[in-house]
Amino acid sequence: MSTTRKLIEALRERLGQADPLPSPPAIPRIQAPPARVFPTARTRSCYAEQAAAHTAAILGIGHVGTRYATDVVLQFQAELAVAHDAVHTVLPDDWAQSQGLLPLKSRVEDHHQFLLRPDLGRRLDEESLERLRGNAIQDVDIQPILADGLSAVATMGSGIRLLETFSNECRFRGWTVGTPMCAKYARVWLQDEIGETVGARVACILLGERPGLGTGDGLSAYMVYEPRMGKTDSDRNMISNIHARGIVPELAGRQLAMMAGAMLDQKTSGVSLDLSGLTAELGQAASGGYREPQRRVRLVETDR
Amino acid sequence: MILEAIPPTILSVRRIHAAHESVLRSYGADPSKHTSLGLVTCDQDDSTYVALDEATKHAPIDVVFARSFYAGANHASGRLSGEILGVIAGPDPDTVEEGLMALVRCLEHDACFYSADDGATIAVFPHVITSLGYYLSEEAGLQPGDSMAYLVAPPIEATIAFDAAMKAADVRLVRAFTPPTQTNYAAAWLTGILTECQAAAEAYAEAVVEVARRPWDFR
Amino acid sequence: MQLAATIRGTKYRFDSIKEVLAKANPPKSGDDQAGISARDPVERVAARAVLAELTLHDLRENPVVPYELDELTRLVEDTLHADAYQAIRSLTVGQFREWLLETSTTGPLIRSISRGLTPEMAAAASKLMSNMDLMIVGAKCEVVVRANNTLGLPGRLSARLQPNHPTDNVEGILFSTREGLSYGCGDAVIGVNPATESAESTAEILRALNGVTTRNNIPTQNCVLSHVTVQMDALRLGDVPMDLMFQSFSGSEKGNRAFGISVALMDEAYAMMSELRSSHGPNFMYFETGQGSALSSDAHHGADQVTLEARCYGFARRYKPFLVNTVVGFIGPEYLEDGAQITRAALEDHFMGKLLGLPMGCDACFTYHSAMGQNELECLKVLLGAAGCSYLMSLPVGDDIMLNYQSTSFHDIPSVRGLVQRRPTPEFDAWLHEMGIMDGLKPGPRFGDPGVIR
Repeated sequence: MSTTRKLIEALRERLGQADPLPSPPAIPRIQAPPARVFPTARTRSCYAEQAAAHTAAILGIGHVGTRYATDVVLQFQAELAVAHDAVHTVLPDDWAQSQGLLPLKSRVEDHHQFLLRPDLGRRLDEESLERLRGNAIQDVDIQPILADGLSAVATMGSGIRLLETFSNECRFRGWTVGTPMCAKYARVWLQDEIGETVGARVACILLGERPGLGTGDGLSAYMVYEPRMGKTDSDRNMISNIHARGIVPELAGRQLAMMAGAMLDQKTSGVSLDLSGLTAELGQAASGGYREPQRRVRLVETDR
Repeated sequence: MILEAIPPTILSVRRIHAAHESVLRSYGADPSKHTSLGLVTCDQDDSTYVALDEATKHAPIDVVFARSFYAGANHASGRLSGEILGVIAGPDPDTVEEGLMALVRCLEHDACFYSADDGATIAVFPHVITSLGYYLSEEAGLQPGDSMAYLVAPPIEATIAFDAAMKAADVRLVRAFTPPTQTNYAAAWLTGILTECQAAAEAYAEAVVEVARRPWDFR
Repeated sequence: MQLAATIRGTKYRFDSIKEVLAKANPPKSGDDQAGISARDPVERVAARAVLAELTLHDLRENPVVPYELDELTRLVEDTLHADAYQAIRSLTVGQFREWLLETSTTGPLIRSISRGLTPEMAAAASKLMSNMDLMIVGAKCEVVVRANNTLGLPGRLSARLQPNHPTDNVEGILFSTREGLSYGCGDAVIGVNPATESAESTAEILRALNGVTTRNNIPTQNCVLSHVTVQMDALRLGDVPMDLMFQSFSGSEKGNRAFGISVALMDEAYAMMSELRSSHGPNFMYFETGQGSALSSDAHHGADQVTLEARCYGFARRYKPFLVNTVVGFIGPEYLEDGAQITRAALEDHFMGKLLGLPMGCDACFTYHSAMGQNELECLKVLLGAAGCSYLMSLPVGDDIMLNYQSTSFHDIPSVRGLVQRRPTPEFDAWLHEMGIMDGLKPGPRFGDPGVIR
């Protein structure tokens, strides 16, 4: 080390200036910052107000430095928690039976495997296959299948209502409807093996959809004509966003029945199915994978 | 924070492998023994004088030219000018490179100004040269290997600190540079045995800090 | 060729270079799903030991999809730079890793041999590297591109503004756009993933975005990320301000067929954009990739997802793109299970893309059914910033209300820039300063105020 630098270091020490940080400024009076809250009808900024008329994106939330205000953080964490909770909730083994549904299971052994092995979620295990062969009505027009998919919360929430509405709408139209059943650890394509086994003309699986921020209760319905293993996504039609704040189950059940009617008439499904005659009834669902914008609700309120 | 190092910024370092005879002569080199030149500009002149001297201890080169610019680095003529141009000369490019390496090392790790007040609006150069090289020893009229305190500060600080240094240590004045120098500082070169040079430099730095704190004190 | 290594008395043999590449991969759920990963950590190291001894020449001779079967393999093979390849061909993968890490191996040096590398070589090197190795080399690589601004300069970090809307409501898109701009986002591109795949709506969104950038004099690019054929149709409508043209890529011909594209189609799209684009620089294509896309369409040919990802880059470099990004956590836990795998994949993809000469960005993101938390995602954004990633995404609170996943937020961009001391593209930086949105690396007086944008 240089002679001069050593010397100056010693002098600095002697003068009481060794601390490499200058002393802090005088202690200030710290004011509580102005309220910056997650926008609600009551509190949102002008920009948030205007934006909310056009988009569900969280806008006009301001900033603290370059980060979020505390209230925004909590709201955001609550939305995230709701989504994660929906994904991680497992359908109880006895739930199907308690609802009077024929219980089925895919080849998946546990929830972790369910997330990692979509191939196993597309096939029934041996026991379920036998139960299906032994207990389900064969050669039906429509086979509805309730399933957990990526949100058992949604399935247990409005699943039964959707299943019943859809089944009733089908019976009302004079079609035979298969045994009500519920599949655990199920992916969409499981409808192919089930439908093929019971000899259904149309299979429709109603399952919890992949949660978004703050929404864990949405169901999607996928329908296929002449279900057979080996059908692909382009052979299917779907309606998504079925929940209390989106397409309500009663409406979805009716729309699905109309879609099934089109399949039975045209003897096809998927991209080759012409739904143009049903545009008014099906709304945007007629044009493919449409998702209604979610409306945001404030999730966190504290009691004071 | 006071007495923190203010590191010099080396703005350019270049070599001329085989300089033209006119250039060699104009910059004080001797064409009979010098072929290559090494050039440096820096934003601290005094640090660079020390570094040029240091270079003479590491390579057989001569410092042929070293001049400060008027009013210092804050009034430089260009981005690369700084406040000094130093030129070393040697028999070949490799020797010059060796000298430049020592010069850069000294500027990066040794010679520098220090802050004398918070915010470094006043700077002091209380440098101790343990062992003079061939350049400054000649400038000072001393022998290579002698110790020297190379002390620089702004005019009033320098004057009071000069006095303090002379009184604090057993040193002898070599040269005094009264204000204004080209860069508007003032300087003193003192010599003695190494420990006395150190004591002088320390007293000088302390006095500059003290004046910076109390610029008004006459009653 | 002998493909075997012995660890503590056990000899591990491998049948092919493709198997060595797969088993040398760090753990990925997608490779497990494909049934090609190492059966345990020791076998994985054995595969790496074998890989380290293979030469880059061996890798060129053994592409993971055969020349006869795959146009991407043919494209890479037929356009490889002979002199650059000659310079590195005899290095082993282990030596190549060391050469990349040497201090004397600078960005320009790497660029000089980049065109002699096949994607398999880049993937192989990544498998011998730790996360920090990947960052060190990624940060060295220099890829600078120009459209309406200049992206990828040293000390810069850019952001795509992603104002998606589930029904393509243009007003809604513009509200998100204005807010994002007020946080200093959008210098890489203002890019919308449309809900509707039609030429008319693509054109409508482009015109609306162009309105904002024109009115406010913003030096950036606009893009609507519909299928390339839809964008070509939009260009045919005439007078459509398309600064960048977008397409998703997969790592094999079969995978690209599932995406509805081919080399011939992309050549046609590129030629069309050369004539009809509205941006001004030499780079005007935008590609997205992501590990696992080939497997999801059963187009992986038994190869691992890292190598297939690198093959996307081998395809992309043909078109000198302005932007390439890996949408790293979007595909779901069946391909990248958790935060560790997503983080690893992000750093791998950035490294491989930069090594192959692409302006790599990364959509650091997760879907809500993968095992990654918000804090892990924030860490990844800082790692990418430190690794010299060219750009990140940005959305309101990081939440994509159309695609339902979690990415980088408007607030994250100035935060990461501050932490790693990087600024936006120089042109955009000047605009932000002029608008009072940023003051260098610090928020300016109008920061976060969308009212500043007309």
